[in-house]
Amino acid sequence: MPMDRYADMEDKLRILEDLNMMYIRQIALSLQDSNIQKKIDHEIRMRDGACKLLAACSQREQALEASKSLLTCNTRIMAYMSELQRMKEAQVMQRVALRSSDAGPTDDRLPCKGKVAISDLRIPLMWKDTEYFKNKGELHRCAVFCLLQVGAEIHDTDMVIVDRTLTDICFDNTIVFSEASPGFELRVELYSCCSEEDYSTGSTPRKLASKLSSSLGRSAGKKLRVAMDPGACSPISNGGGATLLLPLPTVVGPKYHLLAHTTLSLSHVQDSFRTHDLSISGNEECSHWVPLYGNVCCRLAAQPHCMTQQMMSGCLKVKQFGDPQSWTNVYGVLKGTNLFCYHRQEDVEANIEPAFTISINKKTRIRASEKDLHNKAQSICISNHYGGEEVTHTLSADSREDTHRWMEAFWQQFYDMSQWKQCCDDLMKIELPSPRKPTLVTSKQGSLYHEMVIDTSDDISTVTDILARRMQELELRSQLGTSPPWMSLFQDSPGCPRTHNRLPHSPLRCPRPGLLSSEASLTSDSDSPCSTSLCSRHSGWAEPLSLSSPSSHFRPRTLSLDAKLSTLRGRGCGGVLQCSCQPPSSSSLAPIPAQRVPQATLSCSNSTSSNSSSEGSHSPELSDGTPFSHPSSARQSLRNLRAKLDPRNWLQSQV
Amino acid sequence: MSSFLSQLHFQLSCALQQRIEICKLRQGEHLILGFSIGGGIDQDPGQNPFSEDKSDKGIYVTRVTPGGPAEVAGLMMGDKVMQVNGWDMTMVTHDQARKRLTKKNEDIVRLLVTRKSLEQAVRHSMM
Repeated sequence: MPMDRYADMEDKLRILEDLNMMYIRQIALSLQDSNIQKKIDHEIRMRDGACKLLAACSQREQALEASKSLLTCNTRIMAYMSELQRMKEAQVMQRVALRSSDAGPTDDRLPCKGKVAISDLRIPLMWKDTEYFKNKGELHRCAVFCLLQVGAEIHDTDMVIVDRTLTDICFDNTIVFSEASPGFELRVELYSCCSEEDYSTGSTPRKLASKLSSSLGRSAGKKLRVAMDPGACSPISNGGGATLLLPLPTVVGPKYHLLAHTTLSLSHVQDSFRTHDLSISGNEECSHWVPLYGNVCCRLAAQPHCMTQQMMSGCLKVKQFGDPQSWTNVYGVLKGTNLFCYHRQEDVEANIEPAFTISINKKTRIRASEKDLHNKAQSICISNHYGGEEVTHTLSADSREDTHRWMEAFWQQFYDMSQWKQCCDDLMKIELPSPRKPTLVTSKQGSLYHEMVIDTSDDISTVTDILARRMQELELRSQLGTSPPWMSLFQDSPGCPRTHNRLPHSPLRCPRPGLLSSEASLTSDSDSPCSTSLCSRHSGWAEPLSLSSPSSHFRPRTLSLDAKLSTLRGRGCGGVLQCSCQPPSSSSLAPIPAQRVPQATLSCSNSTSSNSSSEGSHSPELSDGTPFSHPSSARQSLRNLRAKLDPRNWLQSQV
Repeated sequence: MSSFLSQLHFQLSCALQQRIEICKLRQGEHLILGFSIGGGIDQDPGQNPFSEDKSDKGIYVTRVTPGGPAEVAGLMMGDKVMQVNGWDMTMVTHDQARKRLTKKNEDIVRLLVTRKSLEQAVRHSMM
């Protein structure tokens, strides 16, 4: 009987779903907006895919990722549907307004849109002292991620596993919303999910654990059963929130719950890091609880279009100081807080410096002056205060319409600046996230080891030999006068953005054919314990070659490679490799871990495989004649201990 | 003819058991075998890329140093080590396994390994 009822409900839900989809399509059709329609279809397809993956996968990480995608898709669908409804309502209101006679043409000026970027999210945690320092007993772990929403645009951050050993939850993603109005509301939601429930038909220890927990007590068992109950997948608990327009499919698997949220707006925008309060939902009793300190730190920047785009351009005549009759022809470009006046229009594209620049900011006063005796059109006077002195520029356009258009542009610019407020004082930098390596996604879903190519060329010594050989090649190349196209990247590297350092993708996107093979790549695989940066100064090169210089994200180095490279240095390597920079504590000569592959890898297992354990025989590489020096045994044993105690690793030892 | 082919097919597709004798190489004060192992009853078997059964907690060969004693003796990546010098390796911790292979008073180790068919081993090593 209950099975019939269940199936019956499923059918009903499916019918509801079909009806809703028809309704949505109707609205979209009437609005003549196929854009949102396509987006909804896309998200529904993604959702189906995520459900299938969730049902099929057996590994915890995969299931968590799939559940995260599911939640994101659901939220996006909700948002698009709300958007669709809003648009429909607006259309209806407009029609009503047009029909009634009192609504004249509203001359509402609309502010320009802009880019809003949020990056470097960091949420401090507040573990109880005893928990944090003892680090004993079961390591309660939660998977967390953030959903960021502006209007109908929703982005999710990567998932982070949180346990007692973490003091902060850090999300490295930079999320950019490209069309935000100054009145935007950026909703930040933190979702968490306990990563230990037995939701998969997994291994015996988990089943045992669930049996134990269910036998422990009715309330505890009830909690577990509720978590495992497919019907518990309600839109509210999955962060849906809004009215249910589409029934959600029932899924078995890890479920994320809303842990905290906050809303940021224009007043929170600043060109530096700020701390904001979080509203926390849930309490210690919830399975998905993570003790939050109550704040979130992030960098919220905004670039209004009026600051980054040319808002107006055209030919102008500027009256010369001193000579009231002489006018200079310029090509004016209004952008940001300046009116750039170029000699010719071609100079703009050619990036030639403008003839002069007139500042247009909040303190500027612009007025159209009376018709000059000598001119047919009105002229525009722009007054600024430059250090106590008032300077007025007089401009004139070719025709009356042009003058009007310029005045409009100036008014619009002033309006935009009044709406975007502090964002128009100076252009805030937004660092765009560089395209991720495609393999990163798959490595997170499967076992990391499936992605690793355990190649014989991964010996540390082989790697250093490859490095040395490359250096020689580069040396020869530079002597020949041809420098590889990516050299310019290295020369600019001091400006290397901080956000790139911890991400497992390389800031060096230029193709490097032939010079560096993918195996011995110098990309910064920053999930590995060592950051990759190689400094070398060479007589043929004007500037030092330095790769991604990690600044604050220092990671321990594998000392054996370090020692190997220093022996190379000592030998001079045929006078080629001269590492002249003394490594500061956090950067410079850091090695490439042995088990190398352009994908992300687990940290500890690398060090274990490259340094065999402290007891037993230590085996230097056979392929290299010179054995590499042993790291100090104390450090090694500590690293090994950590590697052994970390339950996430699958240790490998060299014998 | 068909029976011969089917016999061949059978040989190729089922697991092979091999006895491998490795003579340790002395380098300085160390005795090395020239391969790496993974696995153990204290490790997470789900992360083993070589095992067919993901709950198999046995010791697997994860890497063979080219030109090393293990390669010379015929050990291959993906082999599952069943015994070392008569000691069972199917129910040992990772550290115990390592210790059994690196006893300083032994110059030769005799391994009993299981190897999946050639095709599977190649497939695994390329994943």
